[in-house]
Amino acid sequence: MTMFAKLLFVSLTVLASAVTSAQNDDSEQLKITALEALMSAPPQRALPIVTRVLNGNSSTELKERALFVLAQIDVPEAQAMLLDIARSGQNGMRNEAIRMIGIGGDEKSQAELADIYAKGDKTTREAVLEAYMIADNTEAVYQIAVKSTEPSEFESAVQMLGVMGAREELRALRDRPGMAEILIDAYAIAGDVESLTTLANDSSNPERQAQAIRALGVTGEEGVVDVLTTLYRNSTSSDIKEAALEGLMIGDHDEAVLTLFRESKDAAEKRALLQTLIHMDSDAVWDIVDATLENGR
Amino acid sequence: MNDDTLTLYFYKDGLTPAERRDVQSALDNDAELRERYARITTTLAQFDVTDSAPLPADMLARFHDSIDRAARSEQQRASKLPPQTRWSPFAWGSAVAAALVLGIGIGLFAQRDQVPAPGINTGIVTIYPPAPRATSVAFERGLQVYLRDSQQELSGQPMNTERSAIALQLIRQNRLFERAAEEHNSKDLARVLRAFEPILLRLAADDISEREAEALQAQLAFELKVMLTKLGRNLSEETGPI
Repeated sequence: MTMFAKLLFVSLTVLASAVTSAQNDDSEQLKITALEALMSAPPQRALPIVTRVLNGNSSTELKERALFVLAQIDVPEAQAMLLDIARSGQNGMRNEAIRMIGIGGDEKSQAELADIYAKGDKTTREAVLEAYMIADNTEAVYQIAVKSTEPSEFESAVQMLGVMGAREELRALRDRPGMAEILIDAYAIAGDVESLTTLANDSSNPERQAQAIRALGVTGEEGVVDVLTTLYRNSTSSDIKEAALEGLMIGDHDEAVLTLFRESKDAAEKRALLQTLIHMDSDAVWDIVDATLENGR
Repeated sequence: MNDDTLTLYFYKDGLTPAERRDVQSALDNDAELRERYARITTTLAQFDVTDSAPLPADMLARFHDSIDRAARSEQQRASKLPPQTRWSPFAWGSAVAAALVLGIGIGLFAQRDQVPAPGINTGIVTIYPPAPRATSVAFERGLQVYLRDSQQELSGQPMNTERSAIALQLIRQNRLFERAAEEHNSKDLARVLRAFEPILLRLAADDISEREAEALQAQLAFELKVMLTKLGRNLSEETGPI
C-alpha cells in the first residue's frame, strides 16, 4: 500500500467513526479533511461514502462540503442525487445543491432548474440564476427575463446577463417597456459600448441619455473616450455635458479631461474641469495648477 | 522524489545545482526511479519542448514581455490602492503564474510551427489558441500553483482588516485563470472557477460579520483544496504513477 493509500485509508476510517461520535471542532475538521481526501478515491468508492455523509446526522456544514465533493464525482448517480436535494432539500442544502448543478454543467440537470426556479422563493431563484451563471447558460437566464412578470425578477435576470457579458440577449430585451434604466446598467457591466453609444446619442429621453453617457465610463473601454468628448463638445445641455464629464471621470480618462480643459475659453467651465481633474487625482493637475498660478490661464 | 522534481530536472529548470546533484545521485542509485524518469522523459519528449530546440529570440522576448506586462499591470493597480490593500507576495507569485499559464501557448506554438498563430490580446498577455496536450498539462500545473497559493492564503491567518483586499486580488487572479480555462477548452474547470467568484465577492463585501467571513473563507479553502486534489489526481493519471 502506498503512503497515499494509507493516508486515505486512515482518513476514511476517521470519517466512518467520527460520523457517529460527539460533534466538536476537532472531529469536524477531521471529517472535512477526510472529505478532501475522497477526491483521490475512484468514483465507485467515493460515492457511497459521500452518500452516507449526506444521509447521516452530520452537521450542515459538513453536508455542504460533501455536496461539493459529490459534484466532482463524474457519475450519473451523483447528478441524480444533486437534483434530488435541489428539489426537496432544506434551504441551505437545496441552494448549495443548485450551485453544484451549475458547477457540474450537466444540461439535463440545468433544464430541471427551470422548474425549481418557477416554484422557488426569492433565495432559490437567486441560487438558480447563479447556477446558470456558473454554467454559462445565457439562454436559460434570457428565458427567465423574457418570462418574468415582476420588475424585480426582470432586474435580477438582466443583472445576471450583464455579469455574463450576454450582449446579444440584452439587446434582444431592449424594447421591454419601462426597463431602460435596468438595461443600461447591464449594458455597462457587459461592456456593450455599441448599445450604450446608441442610447447616449439619442436625445429623445434626456434622463436616459445622461444615464447611458455615464454608463459608457463604467465600461472601462478606451474606445468610449472619443464618444464622451464629442458629446461634451457638441452638446448645449449642461446635464449632458455634466454626464459626459462624469463618464470620463468614472473611466479614469484624465488625458481627455485635460484636453477639454486646455480647449475651454470659459472660466467657469475651466474651474469645473480642473475640479474634475483634482477628483481624479490626476498627475496632470499639478502642471495646470502651476501654470494657472503663474500665468492666470 | 515526485514527478514535478523529475520534470524540472528534465527541463534543467527550477532546481538549484545542489538539488540537481541530489536527483542525479538518486537516479544513479535507484533503478525504480530511473525507470520512472525514463517514462517521464518519453512523455515529455513527445511535447517536443526540450532545450535542444531553443525558443526563437523574438518569441522568448514576447514571452518575457507577457510576464512583465502582467507584473506592471498589477503594480499599477496596487499603486492606486490604499496602503493597507497592497498586494502580498502571494499575489505576485500568482500573477506570474497566471502570466505563465496564459503565455505558455506562445512558446509551445513557436516550437511546433515556428510561426505563432493569431492570439487574443487581453491587454496583459496575448492568449493563444489551445496547443496540444502539453499546453493543457502546463495550464493545469499553473492552475495548481494558483489553487495552492489561494488555499494557503485563505487557510492561513485570519484575514481581518485585509479581507476585502485579499478577496479582490483573488477575484482578479481567478478571472485570469477562468479565462485561461476557457481558452484551453477546460469548461469544467472554468465552471468551478466561476463558482468561486460569488463567494469571493461576498468575502470582499464590507457588510458581512466576522463569523460569516470565516464561514466563507473555510468554504472556499475547502473547495480549492478539493480541486487541487482532483487536479493532482488527473495529472498523475496523465503523466503516469507517482
